[in-house]
Amino acid sequence: MNLQFSERLLGLAIKTQEMSLWERMQPPEDISSSGHLIHWLFNYTTYVNLFWFALVCIGLFGFSYLYSNKRHKIPFYTHGNEKKHLLVTALIGLGVFLSVDMVITKISTRDMKETFWKFPGDNEDVVRIQVLAQQWAWNFRYAGADGEFNTGDDVVQLNSMVVPVGKKVMIQMTAKDVIHAFYLPNARIKADAIPGRFSKLWFDANKVGKYDIACAEMCGNHHYMMKAQLTVLSQEDFDRWVKESQQIAIATNDTEDINLRWGWQWGSK
Amino acid sequence: MAFVEQHIHDAPTSFWSKYIVSYDHKVIGKQFLWFGIFWLLVGGLMALLIRWTLAYPGVPFPVIGNLLFPHTDGVVPPDTYAMLFTMHGTIMIFFAITPILIGAFGNFCIPLMIGARDMIFPTLNMLSFWFSMASGVLLLASLCLPLGAAAGGWTSYPTLSTNIGQPGLGQTLWLLSLFLFGVSSTMGAVNYITTVITLRAPGMGYFKMPLTIWGLWLTAILNAIFVPVLGAGLLLLTFDRVFGTTFFLAGAAATSGKGDPVLFQHVFWIFGHPEVYILILPAWGIVSDLLSFFARKPAFGYKMTALSLSAITVLSTVVYGHHMYTTQMSPLMTQSFMTLTMLISIPSAIFFANWLGTLWKGSIRFHSPMLFSLGVVFVFGLGGLTGLYLASTSIDLYLHDTYFVVGHFHYTMAASVLLGGFAGTYFWFPKMFGRMMNEKLAKWHFWCTMIPLNGIFTGMMVVGYGGMHRRLYNPFIYEFLQKLVPINIFITVCAVLMGAAQFIFIYNFVHTIFFKKEVAPANPWEVGTLEWEIPSPAPHYNFKDIPHVKCGPHELGNPNLKNGRDFQYQTEEWVKA
Amino acid sequence: MKSTSQEYRELQHSIGMTVTLISFGMMFASLFLGYFLVRFNSPVWPPVEIAQLPKLLPLLSTVVIGLSSLTYYWFEMKKRSSKWLVLTLVLGLLFLGLQWSLWAKMKEVGILVSHGMVPSMVYAFSWLHAGHIVLGLFFLSWLLLRKMDQDLWVKNVGKFWHFLGIIWLMMYLMLFVQ
Repeated sequence: MNLQFSERLLGLAIKTQEMSLWERMQPPEDISSSGHLIHWLFNYTTYVNLFWFALVCIGLFGFSYLYSNKRHKIPFYTHGNEKKHLLVTALIGLGVFLSVDMVITKISTRDMKETFWKFPGDNEDVVRIQVLAQQWAWNFRYAGADGEFNTGDDVVQLNSMVVPVGKKVMIQMTAKDVIHAFYLPNARIKADAIPGRFSKLWFDANKVGKYDIACAEMCGNHHYMMKAQLTVLSQEDFDRWVKESQQIAIATNDTEDINLRWGWQWGSK
Repeated sequence: MAFVEQHIHDAPTSFWSKYIVSYDHKVIGKQFLWFGIFWLLVGGLMALLIRWTLAYPGVPFPVIGNLLFPHTDGVVPPDTYAMLFTMHGTIMIFFAITPILIGAFGNFCIPLMIGARDMIFPTLNMLSFWFSMASGVLLLASLCLPLGAAAGGWTSYPTLSTNIGQPGLGQTLWLLSLFLFGVSSTMGAVNYITTVITLRAPGMGYFKMPLTIWGLWLTAILNAIFVPVLGAGLLLLTFDRVFGTTFFLAGAAATSGKGDPVLFQHVFWIFGHPEVYILILPAWGIVSDLLSFFARKPAFGYKMTALSLSAITVLSTVVYGHHMYTTQMSPLMTQSFMTLTMLISIPSAIFFANWLGTLWKGSIRFHSPMLFSLGVVFVFGLGGLTGLYLASTSIDLYLHDTYFVVGHFHYTMAASVLLGGFAGTYFWFPKMFGRMMNEKLAKWHFWCTMIPLNGIFTGMMVVGYGGMHRRLYNPFIYEFLQKLVPINIFITVCAVLMGAAQFIFIYNFVHTIFFKKEVAPANPWEVGTLEWEIPSPAPHYNFKDIPHVKCGPHELGNPNLKNGRDFQYQTEEWVKA
Repeated sequence: MKSTSQEYRELQHSIGMTVTLISFGMMFASLFLGYFLVRFNSPVWPPVEIAQLPKLLPLLSTVVIGLSSLTYYWFEMKKRSSKWLVLTLVLGLLFLGLQWSLWAKMKEVGILVSHGMVPSMVYAFSWLHAGHIVLGLFFLSWLLLRKMDQDLWVKNVGKFWHFLGIIWLMMYLMLFVQ
């Protein structure tokens, strides 16, 4: 047995051993303003599914018990094609559709239109970040002191995204080589980063802290290691960080380096 | 249309013509069965390697670890891991389920259950099997290459599956192997469709066919239409890799003139969604029949079930975009796909209700085929309902590419199809091999499979909801996933138990075929479909006289039957109740 | 006069070939779907690559394959006289020859696969079609050598051959006609 790994495993188990199964099953902490919509719908779907599945189980286990050969020797000969049978079946079909499918469709559509697809306009006061996914790292670009993207003073970070608490963040992204997917578990959002095209996401974080960013589309052998960190700072700390980073960028960016110019004009993408 | 019967050929005599290059649909069916079982074991071993790595990252795989991975002291390395989940998916879908449910049961059951002596095109049938074999050889060969086999996921999205992401021959061989397999499938589909249309025995209208045949026929129709779409996608990707076309190349790779990686996803899923229905329809058909047979009463709402299966077949063609929500298609397309996907609930719920209606007031015998069929009802109920979460565009933002998806499709594809396949195997075994499998072992096999199976796939949905995304070599480098270690271990333990349980089946299967002396009766299950009127195993010509069908396939439990039986053969005049 | 069983066998094979053609058709339909997606998402159509394509060779190919369908039709109608079948075969081979010249000419003019979607489509579609023509030529040869007089095979090989002509016509209209 590889000692280093088994120790690490034990360490993990110990670190989290205080947790109950229920706690373990919970999704990561929701720090977004819109994640609750997903949870509401998930929970609703779960309750209604449980209802219908309970009916299935009652049928399955109940009938198996009540109508086993030992207990019920004479089967009831019917083809189930009389009007009353068809009515019951149709009602069940309709019942499932109305209680689950229609509701999910309506609520999903509403949530997408009013929230997830409601991107901040180009003039709104939001934090704008351009993301370039590559095998196997995340690159983040901020506009820098001149307010324009893809200029020499951009703040470019590797595997680290810094945002202020309580403010909307608008992301445009693409990928350099293969398809990746930007996944922010604590904000419940995900979008594919596809070479040759731009995708967009917005979110806002309502709690300070450090959170994982992961890649959620198979992108090669080290897909599992494509981890970045989201740091959510208070507005003052963020402003300070911005100022410092911009100064560092102006001082240290190699303006001749074409590899640094992977960005694009923000525009309407 | 006047019916014209096929003539009776002489029985083949040599070992070669009896077992290797046979034109007999029953032999070809059995060839597909052995082929599928072999690949099921290979795919299953790969699954265990994956599960071991997820539960115990960095720990050498027990017993054969050092043999398989000598350079890493028995630990699965990351590049091999990528190959493993790619090949596991490919093998299970194309080389295990398709050969067993469609190749084996399709070939074996269709002519027998419709009263024909063989498929309409026996030569095409034989070619279909040998194309599968060639396809399998190519896939095996790809495992032995220096740069390894394909490792871009079974969905092989470009640009990862182009030369950028997968240099080397492995991915190209994968593409060619699957193309050949598609040719095999299409040949089979042509055969099945034409046979069902033109060789049904006199009196067997479409609504007197057993539901197994409905399932297999609808599957063949989807196969004929959509496998070529995959073929086109595979060919175009092969051209990108080998001839330098730029269909799917974009970004850094496209030196001039952009291609579109998402185009592949469209083409792939136009095939891919019907494909999952292709895989499940035979199992649905089999279960629909078996529930009736073992509850000793007619299939409840037979016509509605047949029509529901047909409706699902049609609907399955227009919902593929729900696999692609995160590619950010236009809102109109996204919403349309969601709405259409939701519609599938209606026919599904209807035939599900009919299943329960079949059990209602029956007189249920719990032989192994019935246990497995009941198992399908349970796992498909659960699995199908979990699809609703994923159909929602907003919930999918969180659940896409997580283990929730993996749990969902394993419940619907793996669990349901596997249990359905076992039900069919235990049920038709006497007709295929002339012996009854050991019932006690079969029941042990059922429980030892069913219980861990639910542990595995419920566990997967749990960790998926917890945020664990897919295709990770070591999930625990992420903080947010570290609390899921014990659940992952639980899943792996269940997987090992379930894997071990399959040896009960293998032993039972092999022992009964080669060592059991007692011959099975012609109709051990006492049911009335046409194959049970001929001896077990079926003679090479199937029917000495072509049967004339006079009643439906589920005439059981009719109180007015006078001859001491509780069922009617399909060739008997229907007794009014 | 045909017996019932012969008629029935013809029907069965006819259904089989129809299903097969639906399958092949779906493969080509997928290619055409790709074409339409590219065309309607393209800011400019026709792109410069199409404007540079040779015009005579594809036109000749279309005429040749159209003629070959005609000669096959005559073969079917004129009491199975083998000269029409031979002519069809020759025209089929000529078609392949013209395709080969087309690819050579395109390369000469500087249109290569790696230049983008449109050249990729032109080459890939015509390669795949040509591959099926080769299959068709095998069927025609086999018909010539063995089964010229059997309605069953003549009709179904005919279906396949005409299908290939229609597919080519569609490709021609999509890719070579502005």
